[in-house]
Amino acid sequence: MKEKTRRIVAFYLMISPWFIVFLLLGLYPMLYGLYLSFTNYYGFNMNNLKMVGFHNYRTVFTDSEALYAMGRTLLVTVINVPLGTAIGLSLALLLNRNIRGGGVFRTIFYLPSIVPVISSVLMWRFMFSNDGILNSILNLFHLPRINWLGYDYATVSLIIMLLWGAGGGILINLAGLKGIPKELYEAASIDGASAFQKLFRITLPLMTPVIFFNVIMGVIGSLQIYLQPILLTGSERSELLTRPIQNNYLYVVHAFLQIFAFQRFAYGMALLWILFIVILLITIILFTTSKFWVHYETEQEG
Amino acid sequence: MNVGSSKWGTSVFYVVLIICSLVFLLPLYLAIVNSLSSWYSAPTIVLTGFHFENFIYATTLIDFLKFVKNSVIICAIVLFTSTMISGLVGYAFARIKAPGRNVLFMIVLSTMMLPGIVTQIPTYILFYKYNLINTYLPWLFWGLGGNAFFIFLYRQFFATIPKELEEAARIDGCSIFRTYWNIFLPMSLPVVATVSIMNFQGTWGDVMTPFMFLKQDLYPLATALSMITYQEPGSKVIIQQVSLAAGILFMIPVIITFFLGQRYIVEGIVTTGVKG
Repeated sequence: MKEKTRRIVAFYLMISPWFIVFLLLGLYPMLYGLYLSFTNYYGFNMNNLKMVGFHNYRTVFTDSEALYAMGRTLLVTVINVPLGTAIGLSLALLLNRNIRGGGVFRTIFYLPSIVPVISSVLMWRFMFSNDGILNSILNLFHLPRINWLGYDYATVSLIIMLLWGAGGGILINLAGLKGIPKELYEAASIDGASAFQKLFRITLPLMTPVIFFNVIMGVIGSLQIYLQPILLTGSERSELLTRPIQNNYLYVVHAFLQIFAFQRFAYGMALLWILFIVILLITIILFTTSKFWVHYETEQEG
Repeated sequence: MNVGSSKWGTSVFYVVLIICSLVFLLPLYLAIVNSLSSWYSAPTIVLTGFHFENFIYATTLIDFLKFVKNSVIICAIVLFTSTMISGLVGYAFARIKAPGRNVLFMIVLSTMMLPGIVTQIPTYILFYKYNLINTYLPWLFWGLGGNAFFIFLYRQFFATIPKELEEAARIDGCSIFRTYWNIFLPMSLPVVATVSIMNFQGTWGDVMTPFMFLKQDLYPLATALSMITYQEPGSKVIIQQVSLAAGILFMIPVIITFFLGQRYIVEGIVTTGVKG
């Protein structure tokens, strides 16, 4: 009995730093932000807040910029996440055999994903510039030059830059591939299955949990992108509070500018809560679809 | 696996791997080559010179060292607190049975899913209200709370350690905290390394949090580089070669720590990531 109390006390003592900070700097700000989103807070009227009900939320749906930005964000997500997931998986498939130099290739593919955003923006911005390297390469092949950071191609350029880091997914994919029992492939070989069949009948179905995980994390991350568009296609002076080019005006960029450039705190919080709800809805939808395409081990046993 | 087509297959396979590698390395290669070329020269694909002075200019045209110092302070605060506390919390979740444990762990997991920005901006408003803006205190507070993802990593690791170890320690009269400190923590060095590296890389590269919570004098290098451009005194033209040099300098610590800890990170993700 005494031992048990000691254990419980120890548990709560040990988690208390996390729990206290979670309450004070996690839960409380979250609810405080929710509260602010129902007020008219605009930076200077903290002592004179008025409750305005759902006014800010209604504004979001009449704010053409917010709706546009949400559309662009969904578009970027719909392109970026499947491609990024596919690249991560394909590279892992390439690496998933005992080849000489496998570790070197793994490092090369993984490396771009750890390059800090600011460094990769500096590099890509340089490459994308009008008389930059990508255009000289196009020139070599007698292709017309492209205004990479201009209106028509800005989103393409943003996605290229994001996909450069897609190798970050190979570690978890490799881990997943290592977890597929060898016997399955051996059995398939005996039955005369081709490499192609093995890929589509064994590897991919058994990798669906990992793919699913990557898609979920990718969507959550992708919907919140804001630093890259601002830095890549904002002003040359690299001010953090400048608008990126219209096509890369993503949702969190909009929220961020409302808050930090225009002091529309209450409205900005409403924007963020709507994003949170969108993320939640998309996650729930993905989870409900998962039973149709994600393979779970437990089903087999049951 | 197929013996017959192996020779052909292998060479095609290597060609594909090498092409992919070239694509991934291209931006890094071009950044290095161009950071070594002379000022205002046209972008180049081949090495045109060895203007190493660009790297010196990168550190002298702006208050580079001051920003590095700020980065180091922030990283040190976060690294020391968050790595340690996350371990302690992860250990408690993995090894100590107590009522409410599962519910609390669900909270940890759900905070991992929460978009950071939903809490960060109201936190900014709160700190602004209580005049804590423009200090490093927010990082200390966040650090003292650990980090949900790191707690998760530690917990996954500690959960794999056999129970006998703990029982032996208890019979020897070891307190719970000492069991953690003297037995579990030393065993978890690979996780400590993984967490420290990820923690460092995340904090070092973070542009936005310092932008919100600090003023320019206290900016770390990441924020400074995104706000300040390299130009000749009096001129408005950006010196691309020096900017690139700064970008390269900025990622060097991240890449070094990655190479130092690569083994642990790979191991850590293999052992903990999948079962999650």
